[in-house]
Amino acid sequence: MKKECVAMLLAGGQGSRLHALTSHVAKPAVPFGGKYRIIDFPLSNCVNSGIDTVGVLTQYRPMELNAYLGNGQPWDLDRSDGGVHVLPPYMREGEKGTWYKGTANAIYQNLDFLELYDPEYVLILSGDHIYKMDYSKMLAHHKEVGAACTISVLEVTLEEATRFGIMNVDDHDTIYEFEEKPKHPKSNLASMGIYIFTWKKLKQYLIADEADEKSANDFGKNIIPAMLNAGEKLVAYRFKGYWKDVGTIDSLWDANMDMLSPENGIDLYDPEWPIYARTPTKPPLFTGSSAKVSHSMLTGGCNVNGTVENSVLFHSVTVEEGAKVSYSILMPGTVVKTGAVVEYAIVAENTVIGSNARVGAPPTAENNADWGIAVVAQNLKVGDNAIISPKAMITKNVKGGDVK
Amino acid sequence: MMNKLHGIVFAYRSNPNLRELTQPRNTCSVPYGGRYRVVDFMLSNMVNAGITDVGLIVHTNYQSLLDHVGSGKDWDLSRKHGGLRILPPFSYADKRESLYRGRMDALAGVRSYLANIRQDHVVLAGGDLAVNLPLREIYASHIKSGADITAVCTATPKGAPHSCDYFTVDSKGFASDIAIHPETPSGCESLEVYILSKELLLNLVDYCSAHNISSFSEGVLSRMWGQLKIHVYIHDGYAARLQSVSGYFERSMELLDPAVRSQLFVPERPVKTKDQSNPSTYYGPEAKSTNSLVADGCIIEGEVENSILFRGVKVEKGARVSNCVLMQGTTIQAGAVLKYTITDKNVRVNAGRMLMGHSSYPLAIAKNEIV
Repeated sequence: MKKECVAMLLAGGQGSRLHALTSHVAKPAVPFGGKYRIIDFPLSNCVNSGIDTVGVLTQYRPMELNAYLGNGQPWDLDRSDGGVHVLPPYMREGEKGTWYKGTANAIYQNLDFLELYDPEYVLILSGDHIYKMDYSKMLAHHKEVGAACTISVLEVTLEEATRFGIMNVDDHDTIYEFEEKPKHPKSNLASMGIYIFTWKKLKQYLIADEADEKSANDFGKNIIPAMLNAGEKLVAYRFKGYWKDVGTIDSLWDANMDMLSPENGIDLYDPEWPIYARTPTKPPLFTGSSAKVSHSMLTGGCNVNGTVENSVLFHSVTVEEGAKVSYSILMPGTVVKTGAVVEYAIVAENTVIGSNARVGAPPTAENNADWGIAVVAQNLKVGDNAIISPKAMITKNVKGGDVK
Repeated sequence: MMNKLHGIVFAYRSNPNLRELTQPRNTCSVPYGGRYRVVDFMLSNMVNAGITDVGLIVHTNYQSLLDHVGSGKDWDLSRKHGGLRILPPFSYADKRESLYRGRMDALAGVRSYLANIRQDHVVLAGGDLAVNLPLREIYASHIKSGADITAVCTATPKGAPHSCDYFTVDSKGFASDIAIHPETPSGCESLEVYILSKELLLNLVDYCSAHNISSFSEGVLSRMWGQLKIHVYIHDGYAARLQSVSGYFERSMELLDPAVRSQLFVPERPVKTKDQSNPSTYYGPEAKSTNSLVADGCIIEGEVENSILFRGVKVEKGARVSNCVLMQGTTIQAGAVLKYTITDKNVRVNAGRMLMGHSSYPLAIAKNEIV
């Protein structure tokens, strides 16, 4: 039962900034990149890195995420020893159970789970980032330098640094200070929200943190500063490569577009580091005789007879003849009827865009100030000839001819 | 109720008329329909009807089939009890070394497995038939008919008459005559899918074994004619048999017709296959893709029309592919032109090459070849 390293994946986030897309699912379960959900990236990274025991901490809207993870088979995590475990908050004897109060509290509430596997190291991950990373190299670094905690960091510009948790390090990349969203950053090393802790140390700090009633029970705000103050060895592990937080509509759209250009984003076609997903069985996609498809990704079960450019289409999307889709993300089962135009938009699952409707628009000199990606939530009907303006977030059916 | 039906899939035959396509595999694991192996259809038919126990009878050239079906987990057939069993000729080896001559030979080869079947009824079917059968409904009609055997026939004949059986059906749905491998077809073409009781099956296997009868059609249907009550179920959906290279090509091209696809890919009875975790298919800025069926994981930067592309096919810039079937992992390099060509797995057509077959005689390039 003993494992060297157990991963704990924080997947309870609501993703309120994605709200039209997360009204029914937790953020990690939001579809991404044509075939995946966001959580597939950290999960596949675990498996590819040789980590076979993963606890997934859920809280907000867990149903779809639970169903998606199932027994973990698509990720080869259906193990008799280890595998994937969904860990929701729970009731306790004699006291009221609580929701996960913060990231650190979520781990604290699952001390029993970790003790079951008695690991040497614990890898803390979050379920809202798109990247490929070999955690085994990070773990090797952690062991080599004898750190209590290793934090994966990305070099960003000083301008971007104001939006991240920033690690200030010495010449050996040992962290001496952590600043959350500093106004005047001293370093450009941004935390990626990926931590490896020596379990004995972490356990000690989690217990102490829980005893402190003023604590927000958060890794960045409480645990890391506490460890620094106590003089523990915290080191930065520099990651090079693609990494994107997809917590906003714009970043989610951007990251999807990045997948169209492997040289800019992640090479999803690389057999050395596959990203696994649970996908329904669909026949091959069909492009009809009037289809025009360029610089786009299409998935099984799609039926395209219109024009698709610079877009990402998930499985079973229909684009009828005379319809046009550009710079957009169409999630599974979306239908774009004849004559409709969908531009710079995200359309969620099974939504139908009626004939000659318009969703979103390209940015222009005039609309630049309030332009943005249009979002239509799942299972909706946008009526014929309706117009949905850029930056709109549609969460209810739109009648034919309406302008939103 | 459905747990009373057991599936037997015959996967022992390599049809030599499929030439290059059956060199590395038997007919059941020939890739078909963009992302499937032919055997996926019958396995899915069984699973979709609630069948939990399936025996897959193999004899030779089945390494590719084993790779494909694995433990059966992609069909939910990896079970604690029952599930998928691969059946090489275990009880037959001491009697004869050669290939199975027919289905009764094959069944005799796995006699001890048949004796242990947990269900009362058995469906016998070829693994080389692409069809989406409502087996649940067929089983119910078998029970209702009170017949000894139900034979599934197609309303739209597709096979070559000299290798098919035909039933003449009376007004009550029972067979009144049978023609085995006739010169000219008469009646309904048999899909060689049969439902019968386990008890009858075992009796037939023992009888045929004792009388050195190898074929189900000749030994059972013909010889026992008059003793057995045969009910005919006519399936009006699409059915494809792969009997030759040109036949394979025609059956493939028929899939470009939406009406055919809607009969073969029925949403409530999905065709399951091995999961390979491919990403979506990428179309480049200059790509053209019309009237084509394309599986996931392809990278298309050239032009594709009237074609079927399996998973992970690459069509580089300036390459032109029309009326082709490109199997998994095929790479068509820049500027190459292909017409009426079937490329087997992992074929590479180098830059600028031109390959032209004809609709009546498509070119077939064997697995792993480099042109």
